[in-house]
Amino acid sequence: MNAQDVRQKLKELMVEELNLEGKTPADIDDAAPLFGEGLGLDSLDALQLAMSVEERFGVRIPEGDEARPIFASVDALVAHILKSTAVA
Amino acid sequence: MDRLIAGDRAFAPLSLFEIPGTRARIAAEVRDLSAEEVAPPGEAEGWSRTDAMAVLSAREALAHAGVDPGAMPVDLVVGGTTAGMFETEELLAWLSHDPSAIAPLKRMLSHPLSSTADHVRAVVGPFRRVRSVCSACSSGANAVLLGAAWLRAGLSTRVLAGGADGLCRLTYTGFGALAAVDPDPCRPFDRRRAGLNLGEAAAFLLLESEDAARARGAEPIVELRGWATGAEAHHITNPEREGRTAARVMRDALRCAALSPSDLDYVNAHGTATPLNDVMESAALRACLGAEVSRIAVSSSKGQIGHTLGAAGAVEAAITALAIARGVMPPTGGLEEVDPACQLLHLKEAREAPIRAAMSNSFGFGGTDSVLVFTQPDRFPPPLGVGSAPVRRSVVVTAAATIGPLGVLASRGGAAYLEPGPPPPEGPIAFNTGAHLDLARARRLDRAGRLATAAILTAISDAGLGGAAQGAAGADDPAADVAPSRTLPGAIVGASFGSVDASTAYMRRIYDKGAKYASPADFPNLVPSSPVGHASIYLGLRGPVFAMADLGATAEAAMVTAIELITAGEGEVLAAGSVEEASPMVERCLGPICSQVVSCGVRSEGAAVLLFESAARVRERGARPMATVAWWSSWRGDGAGMLAGAPVPVPPGPPEAVAQRVQPSVPTPAAVFVGRKAERIVACLRGSPWAEVPCCTLAPRAGDHEGAGGFAAAAAVAALASGALASVLILGGAPDRGYAILLVAPGDA
Repeated sequence: MNAQDVRQKLKELMVEELNLEGKTPADIDDAAPLFGEGLGLDSLDALQLAMSVEERFGVRIPEGDEARPIFASVDALVAHILKSTAVA
Repeated sequence: MDRLIAGDRAFAPLSLFEIPGTRARIAAEVRDLSAEEVAPPGEAEGWSRTDAMAVLSAREALAHAGVDPGAMPVDLVVGGTTAGMFETEELLAWLSHDPSAIAPLKRMLSHPLSSTADHVRAVVGPFRRVRSVCSACSSGANAVLLGAAWLRAGLSTRVLAGGADGLCRLTYTGFGALAAVDPDPCRPFDRRRAGLNLGEAAAFLLLESEDAARARGAEPIVELRGWATGAEAHHITNPEREGRTAARVMRDALRCAALSPSDLDYVNAHGTATPLNDVMESAALRACLGAEVSRIAVSSSKGQIGHTLGAAGAVEAAITALAIARGVMPPTGGLEEVDPACQLLHLKEAREAPIRAAMSNSFGFGGTDSVLVFTQPDRFPPPLGVGSAPVRRSVVVTAAATIGPLGVLASRGGAAYLEPGPPPPEGPIAFNTGAHLDLARARRLDRAGRLATAAILTAISDAGLGGAAQGAAGADDPAADVAPSRTLPGAIVGASFGSVDASTAYMRRIYDKGAKYASPADFPNLVPSSPVGHASIYLGLRGPVFAMADLGATAEAAMVTAIELITAGEGEVLAAGSVEEASPMVERCLGPICSQVVSCGVRSEGAAVLLFESAARVRERGARPMATVAWWSSWRGDGAGMLAGAPVPVPPGPPEAVAQRVQPSVPTPAAVFVGRKAERIVACLRGSPWAEVPCCTLAPRAGDHEGAGGFAAAAAVAALASGALASVLILGGAPDRGYAILLVAPGDA
């Protein structure tokens, strides 16, 4: 999968798994923070997103503080997925 | 209690079930427990471990108190969250693969939350009044609180109140998915704490009015002197960081007890050992106790017996009571190095010291906080007003709302269900969330949560309270921290069988994909109090918030309980009703086996709530009630003779008038409204003058489902508000139980 595919699939996953009703993948900003401001997600969303990213992409997201930079934005999450799948 | 004081810890490798991929492998399990040994011969298949624990503990409490329910009237309240989930979760997942196999399976008898109370009643009873409550991890405390409210209002003389919850795969994987579980024995308040351990338990307390106890020469263990419950209206799983609501509810409970922090010697904390709870609770204790916090000893029992969820509030109430009686404070197991953010006077070992008064904290998903205060008997002078005749307050209805086949209807709209018309379409109703709720704020709410929230919103808006409820929710509104919880808007809403389809889908995923893929977002929606908890968060309801379950009489149970709490002064404004979803599992399995519904009309689905308020508050705010609660009752058994105490109806009008929408110029003064047609309604009416007035059944228009009784109540409010009727007796029930509420036109009470 190239970066574009991963990005699109990830955004579709977010809309579906986080019940972002009324939003489309195109509405999600690549660079905006996922948590707090930006999309307004919280720790429960982080857990759901980590679980579904692992299910869909086979990529584990570490727990706790290590997850913070990965969840910084869609861009950061896409980079983590690409890096992890490339290693695999 | 001896083992708690000795510091024993009950954690061991889980033997009850095995699920690959779980985060932890340990639990505080009750070993050698089987339903077979407790259930009547031949009935074990329909019993759960939860039921068995509940029966054993209920028997012990009654024996200890020397109370025989056969010889004196005793009421029963049971708190819980999972009931027979352990016994039914595998079957549910299996049935979801093969829907054609969904049938009235006897094993499913243990599934409903109300089955535990039913089974306790069956083998330990008789009990007069029986209720099942759920507010997640504060369920057991709220059961005790409801019993206390009944006693103080003089509605009960003795109440057996407690909670029971057995381990199951659903909660075990769910807390794992939330990353809330410590794989090792937990460490409440410790710097290295990493989450909770699950346990299972049942506990009951026999509450008795002081006069009744003295009259039979009983020796009280402790005095239950204060209690309070309120909602955080913050987040479905995470507590408020600063513990503002927890502190408010603790202050409420102390005020109810007429005590100050200087009277307290011990706090049995909620203390789950999750990073968030323990910091929040420590902050709340510091805020509530002030300078006294450095003197008052605190411990959490969860480091020894785990988090027993719906039972925890009752178990810890019992531990608190016994601690006072024995003058020993149990320790916090697992606590070695206190987290600087959790600075309190922690007990790493048991301490012998007289305890004049102690507090027990319980906090649940959805932010339902409950606090109980116990004291040594006769240690403190009676609170003002106690000892004189109990004060009972008048209750009125200020709004109703339904969401059903005829859409979202406010108070007067409910009359539409009284007009002749076709039956509703089969299956789910049309409901456009975006038309009624903010989609972004409602995204966590499942369908039941959305229907419940929109119904409560419609009712409070119609009553002119929309702004008040929202205002109270304001994070920056200091008034909401000062106002007693009981004066703030609350809600009591349940579903007969909880969220059975969502639980099934969740468990199927576990079996198909493994515990690793348990959904953290879905899990909190599976607790029976989730819809009302979500509604509380969305609408900013910060008063009493919990769910009830009583088969097809859940709406009636919620309404009667709301009436009782307001009567007792434990609530001022409470929305109450039920939400029922279309479900093949309910239609083809749970309904037939649990409620003996053999044939019914078109089912449909929906939510219905009434908004109850104290008459005094309505007068104060210059509002006009739509109806007055003139009388109510609830019973177990076939209902024969149970209307004997009801006020007699004014003479009936023409019987055909009720079936149509009558004009105020030709009033039919009185009528009986029922949700679903049932033989038991006829039996209950037999010999009563209410048998002579027209009887109107709502199911043919609203849907023949478990929540039809809520629609009957809403239609009654509409008929009274329009002047079409002067009084309506709402009758509802399910096998072996019934409820009656008499509403009259305002001013005619």
